[in-house]
Amino acid sequence: MSLTDLMTMAKSNKMLQRQILSQLWEVHPDECFQCMRCTSGCTSLKLLELKPHEIVLLTNSGFVEELVSSDIIWTCASCLKCRERCPQKASPYNTIMALRNLAVEREAKVPEVYMKVVAQILETGLMQQVKMVTSREMQPLNRKKLGLPKIQCPDDKFKSSFMKALGG
Amino acid sequence: MKVAIYWGCEIPTAQYAYEMSIRQVFPHFDIRLVDLKGASCCGGPVRSINTSAAMYLSARNLALSSQTGIEDLLVPCNECHFMLSETKYRIDNDEKMREKIEKLLAEERLTYSSEVKIWHVIDLFHDLVKVDAVKAKVKRRFEGLKFMVHPGCQIIRPSEIGRVDHAERPIKLDALVEALGAETLDYSEKLDCCGAALLHSHKDAALSLAGSKLKAVQSYGVDGFVDSCPYCHMMYDAKQEEAATTVGGKLSLSVLYYTQLLGLALGVDQEKLGLHLNQSFDPNKLDARAKNILIPRGNLDDRL
Repeated sequence: MSLTDLMTMAKSNKMLQRQILSQLWEVHPDECFQCMRCTSGCTSLKLLELKPHEIVLLTNSGFVEELVSSDIIWTCASCLKCRERCPQKASPYNTIMALRNLAVEREAKVPEVYMKVVAQILETGLMQQVKMVTSREMQPLNRKKLGLPKIQCPDDKFKSSFMKALGG
Repeated sequence: MKVAIYWGCEIPTAQYAYEMSIRQVFPHFDIRLVDLKGASCCGGPVRSINTSAAMYLSARNLALSSQTGIEDLLVPCNECHFMLSETKYRIDNDEKMREKIEKLLAEERLTYSSEVKIWHVIDLFHDLVKVDAVKAKVKRRFEGLKFMVHPGCQIIRPSEIGRVDHAERPIKLDALVEALGAETLDYSEKLDCCGAALLHSHKDAALSLAGSKLKAVQSYGVDGFVDSCPYCHMMYDAKQEEAATTVGGKLSLSVLYYTQLLGLALGVDQEKLGLHLNQSFDPNKLDARAKNILIPRGNLDDRL
């Protein structure tokens, strides 16, 4: 079932639509006139069938619940072309990010990697652990062996502030 | 002069060659880099989860930068550069967001200041150091070599928040490569995205994006491909072999960070630039002409 099919089957939810619009700052999806400049340059159009103008249209029509539970909002590559090129400051990119935030809030299915990253930041402040790498000649190397200084991670106070930021 | 540096996550945990080459080249231009203490993730990957929490992370790093008393902040990762610039633009213009974030920062006794100036490697060299000054420091010129450059996405868009180069026709990285005596070629795939943001959720699509661009660049017959973002570089260098499986045919394109290429031109030892960590760049695989120009015999014998 494509996203547009939903328009004939589902009911519009104006409350969720308002919630998305309230998340956006200086971004106006309601002023989109469907020129499709966003979709014509979208990085994820060909391979993953993301159509940013459709995301904006569905948001404006109140089909937010359907978007939030759809995989399609997770296919954006964040190349920002749609935001740059939109003549109406509708920025599909920001709309997609607001939809992702709402998906998390409503505990819809979120690709695992995003939650893992948050857990890792809470642990070390960085999004991943320090990796061992190998040279072209398969020699295992780390920061120390490469002569790089030790990383200074944030302390526990950071952890509690970040928790608060996530909660509010 | 002193410049504060925010490394982000990918550079100090995995893309060591970028960090090594940056630490090597800046002192040649009398720039002392000062690492931020206790820096965290920029919030880029957190934005999908919670936008204001992501902006808190960025603002915290900007506040740490202000704490050093240095006005200029170098952010060599494209994603971090976007996230920090976007956050700065937002809190400088949105009172509500600023208040919310300042409250959180106060818990660590941090204060945000709008005075910080955010730089990327490309505009720092192009606009502050200046192309002529780069040219003047070059010890070995790469005459006769042809390169294509990959500026990436997030340092050139969206222009409303102030970016490093023109959103549709970026030329600064070309100018910086040309300053080393090499030629750069323009190409129609220049603005294509590397796909890194999709790597962990849509792997095939991500590899296919990287593969198609590499295949195109290779077809133009250049001596190398130059980038300046840890994510783009990971896709084009470490993932090149895997990306080749998605586009059919073999890929063997030498991919280098701009700071590595600059380091070679300044006469810095290859290993100090982390060149042995590039999986796609093997001096022994270069054709004799390119090898002679890029890595003269004396330097090649050092190691590798």
